[in-house]
Amino acid sequence: MFRNRKYVLDHSDLQFKQVRLPWKSKILRILLWFGGSLFVATIYGTFFENTFGSPKEKLLSAQIEILKLQYSLVGRELDNSIASLNSLRLSDDRRYRPILDMDSVPESYRKAGFGGIDRYKDLTGYINSDLLIGYKSKIDEIKVRADVQKESFNSIAEMSAEWKREMDHFPGISPVSVEFRLGDGLKWRTVHPVTGTARPHNGQDFEVPYGTEVYATGDGSIIESGWNSGGFGNCIVIDHGYGLQTVYGHLSDIKVVRGQNVKRGDLIGISGSSGLSSGPHLHYQVEQFGTHKNPVNFFNNDVSAEEYNDMIHAFESKSKLR
Amino acid sequence: MPPIKYKFNPDSLSFDKIRLGIRTLLFRSLAYFVGSVFVALIYWVIFAAFFDSPKEKALKREVQQMTIQYELIHREMANVENVLEDLQKTDDNLYRSIFEAEPIPSTLRDGGMGGVNRYEALEGYNNSNLVIETANRLDKIRKKVYVQSKSFDDLIKLALNKEEMLKCLPAIIPISNKDLTRTASGYGWRIHPIYKISKFHYGMDFTAPLGTDVYASANGTVVGVLSAQRSLGKHIIIDHGFGYSTIYAHLSNFNVRVGQKVQRGDIIGFVGSTGTSVANHLHYEIKLNGVNVDPVNYYFEDLSAADYEKMVEIASKTGQSFD
Repeated sequence: MFRNRKYVLDHSDLQFKQVRLPWKSKILRILLWFGGSLFVATIYGTFFENTFGSPKEKLLSAQIEILKLQYSLVGRELDNSIASLNSLRLSDDRRYRPILDMDSVPESYRKAGFGGIDRYKDLTGYINSDLLIGYKSKIDEIKVRADVQKESFNSIAEMSAEWKREMDHFPGISPVSVEFRLGDGLKWRTVHPVTGTARPHNGQDFEVPYGTEVYATGDGSIIESGWNSGGFGNCIVIDHGYGLQTVYGHLSDIKVVRGQNVKRGDLIGISGSSGLSSGPHLHYQVEQFGTHKNPVNFFNNDVSAEEYNDMIHAFESKSKLR
Repeated sequence: MPPIKYKFNPDSLSFDKIRLGIRTLLFRSLAYFVGSVFVALIYWVIFAAFFDSPKEKALKREVQQMTIQYELIHREMANVENVLEDLQKTDDNLYRSIFEAEPIPSTLRDGGMGGVNRYEALEGYNNSNLVIETANRLDKIRKKVYVQSKSFDDLIKLALNKEEMLKCLPAIIPISNKDLTRTASGYGWRIHPIYKISKFHYGMDFTAPLGTDVYASANGTVVGVLSAQRSLGKHIIIDHGFGYSTIYAHLSNFNVRVGQKVQRGDIIGFVGSTGTSVANHLHYEIKLNGVNVDPVNYYFEDLSAADYEKMVEIASKTGQSFD
């Protein structure tokens, strides 16, 4: 019963008095003990975590490692995307644009909008900030480049359609089968076979018999069709656009009407000798921005009669497909 | 100095001073230490259940952000892949439309890449320099073998007048075409862009921007600097001797005069679209004893065996010529 009691000697009256702690002191002591233990626990904890790391930390670190792995897999996809964008760009710059006479998309435009670091402000301050910003900026770059590529391809597609249109509208073939001989060309004729006076011959004559089929030499619209009082008789004028017009004169029959659209190779008339003509032939004229051009410079003499027929058939079937 | 404490001894009925021995002290401190560790552990378990350490907080934030960003990137990647697929299709369609041909597989189209290190795959291994050198040498040997195997006649001629002959044999692509993107149309039957029928194409077409340098493919004498209104347009004819002559057509400008001696690689003119041509390109022909031959067989100074095969493939696939 007395075993655990503690006594102190009161020096004033030389008596042993039991040590009794007031409850305030008891609470204080408990609090002190609690605080002390907390303090000690903190020291232990800090020491332990600094040396070994907590299991929680280890778990989180492992998660981060897994995420990094996943990122690296995405990274490979990103690299693939960049590679395919590069190949598209190569196609764009070196394959299509030179043909269509277009300038390359400037590098600065392809990389537009990559000035500021502020763009990735919310990704700074992390352990793996560099990694995150790296991937993010890479994918942003890919997106921009893909957009630019899309735009570029769109303009190439437009240009390509325009290129083909122009090609189709160019009066690039002979208006009659090449089995016939060429007559008078573009020259100053001192004696006109009918009038006997000197006047310029503004086109190319084809020595074709009466009734030969005459074809449109390029796509265009008929702007004149009927009797020409200037001497061409039954005459057709096609406007090909791009400043180009062709004239077909001395026809015996006309198969098209004014305003009609024609395609290269369409049958537009039948040759004859109408108007100021001394015999059956086709008079063919090419005008470019109002000046008479030599028609023989617009088509090559490199097809045979057989090939010419094949060509007309090819145009016909193409027209039917439209 | 704290007051000395006493203990009541019921046996002797006296108060004894409480003395702490070293052992007791040691034991007590040990007990204290163990107790404190135990208490600390309890604290820690409780604390960890409700709170995170700053390090853990940082890590959690990290994991969270990385997960969010990963999902974002993943989603965006899917979009990008769709867009790229569309672009690829557009590319194929453009190719189909402009070249009137089935697109060449992109692996083939992008091949060549003369600029990049062809032996990259071999780097990083032990003795990689040696391996690369060997591969390099093998490549050279392969080219040489190709030259040697041209034909038996050639071989005899080579033996007779090897060096002079080699310099005069057309052996390079007449324009800069390192990545083979400028091959447009080869030798043989091709759809004519205007006539829309098959015509025999006697040369090779290389598309290139207006004004691109055109090189002489071998040493020789310029025998023709001609300006035609149609067909070949502005074109140059070089006589290389040994039965060979080359033609460079549709030029925008000349850089040589008739009678001038030229060496392989000299700039003789500039790409254009003169004559019967629908786009800026160089039309290149090689004649052997006055007869057209396929130029694709005369690039052995320029191309490795692999690139050569790609070149043949590309040139043979295109359906439309440009003149």
